[in-house]
Amino acid sequence: MKLETLRSSLEFLAGSRDEAPTLLTGRYGAALRCCVWIAAIALIYAFCGQSSKFIYIDF
Amino acid sequence: MIFNTLSYYFCFLIPAAIAFRLATVRVRPWIIVLFGSAFFLHFAYGMAGVGGALCLLIFLWESLTSRLYRPGSRWCLLGLTQSLLFLGLFKYWNFFTGLLFFHQSNPLRWQGAFLPLGISFFTFEFYHYAWDRRAGKTEAGRLSEYLSFILFFPTMVAGPIKRYQDFLPKLRATLGDWNQDWERGATRILCGLVKKFAVADLLTAWTDHLNAHDLLTADRRMLPVWLLAYGIKIYADFSGYSDIAIGSARLFGIRVPENFDWPYGRRNIQRFWQCWHISLTRWLIDYVYIPLGGSRVARPRIYANLIAVMLISGLWHGAGVHFLAWGLWHGLLLAGQRLWRQWRGEPSTAPVPVFSSRVLTFVLVNAGWAFFCMDLPTAQIFFRRLFVG
Repeated sequence: MKLETLRSSLEFLAGSRDEAPTLLTGRYGAALRCCVWIAAIALIYAFCGQSSKFIYIDF
Repeated sequence: MIFNTLSYYFCFLIPAAIAFRLATVRVRPWIIVLFGSAFFLHFAYGMAGVGGALCLLIFLWESLTSRLYRPGSRWCLLGLTQSLLFLGLFKYWNFFTGLLFFHQSNPLRWQGAFLPLGISFFTFEFYHYAWDRRAGKTEAGRLSEYLSFILFFPTMVAGPIKRYQDFLPKLRATLGDWNQDWERGATRILCGLVKKFAVADLLTAWTDHLNAHDLLTADRRMLPVWLLAYGIKIYADFSGYSDIAIGSARLFGIRVPENFDWPYGRRNIQRFWQCWHISLTRWLIDYVYIPLGGSRVARPRIYANLIAVMLISGLWHGAGVHFLAWGLWHGLLLAGQRLWRQWRGEPSTAPVPVFSSRVLTFVLVNAGWAFFCMDLPTAQIFFRRLFVG
């Protein structure tokens, strides 16, 4: 896989790009997006207890 | 905290975004003003008490004076001055008066000093509006529209720093597809929270060691690891924050500027700054670097301008000598890169030089974080232990 494709795929899965790369269109892409949501919610749930403030808040 | 609290999502973001999308174009700005004011009062009170909450008056004052700004008008100069005064008074009063009474107690010290929520960011938006109105680069808009620009709470606290001429058309436009905006926005928010909770906060266990005691007692091989951890932490923390802000704005159907574009791994320090905190870099270029003459002056002046801009950037990041040192470090790197480019010409595109320059840029940026996250004596200890032992 080309680096550019990997980048656009990651950006799409992270919500910062609107157009899905060809790799992530169709049923396969929708399933992968669901997996990203589940993984993200699981990670947030697992780590949210130790939260500290954002570095840039006091700027 | 703010973006990692449930109250942000359930009391402010979701109700405001729904109300905004259901309202007519004329009512939409007032929805933002209403929720933005409530947001500021709630979180500013939580951080700095009644004094902090009263700083909402700064927004009201600014919005009233902004009605006087006209192209070429002197009132715009008042706007520029008052923006800098707000920032100077709250953020730098104790720092500069402390420098006046170096090594002595400061009789002018403001004991109850506090930082109003988001002051470093909203004053830059005030400044931009006054400047661009004076230059005739933006229309005045209605009072409600300007108020909604400065009180747009997803970006109020820590950016991205918006431009009025970009924001206004989005406020007036027909909103895009609700489903797509919410799916993309929520995904962005979730990824931002993952960066914050699962990366940035997790690295705190290592970055907490960047203090004088641990630096003096630890195995010196751990020092670069801790600093590298800080480099990753600040990226995950701030880009995560920006993701949440941009994702939150997307729920309203409003797209705000991006703040990061894969900054680590860039070929040189100039490219790094074009991809790190992009909205700040653009602000500094437009309102500091270009007014100083930019790149259209003699070469020594260009280097001086670059260093001056980065010193201002350093001071903006915090009222401390170590932030100035961090700014100076980046100013010298930018000036050094220009000198190198003049001497050696266009960079090679062969794989080895490209890879080496990416690694070198990454190392230099990370070395600079030492001045950012530690005070000057501690940073001195860090480098002495690292290189001398």
